[in-house]
Amino acid sequence: MSSAGPTPAGPPQVRSLNCPSCGATLTVRSFSHAVTIVCDSCHSILDAQDPRLQVLQKFEAATRDAPLIPLGARGAIRGTQFEVIGFQRRTIQVDGTPYSWHEYVLFNPFKGFRYLTEYDGHWNDVSTLRALPDLSPGASTLTYLGETYRHFQTANASTSYVLGEFPWQVRVGETAEVSDYVAPPRVISSEKTGKEVTWSMGEYIVGSDLWKAFRLPGQAPVPTGVYENQPSPLSANVKMVWSLAAVFLMALTVLLIAFYSIAQDRQVFSQSYEFNTNVKSEASFVTDGFELNGHTSNVELSTTANINNNWIYLNYALINQDTGHAYDFGREVSYYHGYDSDGSWSEGSTHDTVTIPRVPPGHYYLRVEPESDFYHGKIYYTITLKRDVPQITFFGLGVLALLVPAGLITWRSMNFEHLRWAESDSGGVPAGGALLNTVESLVDSVKSTEEDE
Amino acid sequence: MIRTFFLIYGLAVLGGVSVAEYQGWSLNRVDEVLNVPKSVRDNPGSYRSVYGYYHHYTGGK
Repeated sequence: MSSAGPTPAGPPQVRSLNCPSCGATLTVRSFSHAVTIVCDSCHSILDAQDPRLQVLQKFEAATRDAPLIPLGARGAIRGTQFEVIGFQRRTIQVDGTPYSWHEYVLFNPFKGFRYLTEYDGHWNDVSTLRALPDLSPGASTLTYLGETYRHFQTANASTSYVLGEFPWQVRVGETAEVSDYVAPPRVISSEKTGKEVTWSMGEYIVGSDLWKAFRLPGQAPVPTGVYENQPSPLSANVKMVWSLAAVFLMALTVLLIAFYSIAQDRQVFSQSYEFNTNVKSEASFVTDGFELNGHTSNVELSTTANINNNWIYLNYALINQDTGHAYDFGREVSYYHGYDSDGSWSEGSTHDTVTIPRVPPGHYYLRVEPESDFYHGKIYYTITLKRDVPQITFFGLGVLALLVPAGLITWRSMNFEHLRWAESDSGGVPAGGALLNTVESLVDSVKSTEEDE
Repeated sequence: MIRTFFLIYGLAVLGGVSVAEYQGWSLNRVDEVLNVPKSVRDNPGSYRSVYGYYHHYTGGK
């Protein structure tokens, strides 16, 4: 929208007439372009082409509709100044429920007519098509200028209220079969009256922009729900977020390869021990000392025990000989198996692994204190320590952390499309709709990122 | 807005994973005990682990 634009300069040019039915003053803004003019006082529709203003129809208005943009208001739409000259309310019936929207006729003496439509705070800037769209009989889509539009709704719309002047023979009660095909933010509509079909294209426009363009007081009504051609505020974000997620996932993969390459992953200690459960005595012992080199990093301790339907619990303390700093933890190794009416079963494992975090370099030893049930014979077990072992867990969490917000935005975008198509008589989100678009976007973004690299 | 947020968020994730990997973070629970006496080396029984006196669960099948 821009306030700049050609013509007409100066105050609005109007011509005054009197209604032949009630004598009220009529204002004509489009001069010879007006085909019908409506008297606001007595609701007579007059033939504007007739010098005597013949009354074509007189209608009873159950409710008077006040246009949100008053007749005579001027504003620049896409750089051209237009004046509001006509207003009508049109109504469709869906399952016995009437739904009404409003149409505003705009006029510029050099550019001709243009229209605004409004439904529940959603606005469209509408102009008639100069070329016919490509529509196959029975098809649910049409093509116009290379863009595919999906059928959204077909209904019989009747004119239920009129005001101002119109460039056609308007009548209250006249009906037309209206079909909408959408490709947000655009909609192509066909209006079929008898054998005549009129095609028009609307583009979604934000109410606040119109309020600014027409310098209207107050605020534009807040839109309710999702309109048929309302652009999804998230659809652009979906593609962008998935593109960034793909880049970050690749960077994460590079990091994974790098960390697996540079990690020491070095065995620093391994020793086998025997625990005699038949002897009740102090079981704790300490291992030989060993060196942990490099920067502060993790230590992975593995325990493998030759247990069979038995368990062993080991209290471990990894103690720094020099500082007395200890890492205290306990691990159970248990393995049970058998056979019952359900078949064979097993629980646990003879192997256990634990990762001790952030262990500084230094001289260490292990204090080990095994426990188990008494009188189960000897349990042989092996303790192995490895230094600086890469942890796939954090890469997994990183992948999850990148996918969750991208998935959330995608889900919200899909929900927007679901709300849009819930109002369609084509029923639900069309196949190849939001979900497919999202997947296609993802594939495209991955492909383009690969090409860039 | 969302782009900037996701850009910063993604970099933070990469940074977090790098720090976690480099410093050797772990999700395992380990208690740290300070100033363990050197006598433990000669008398392991004098050290009392907070994980001692384990009661093994013998339920299940």
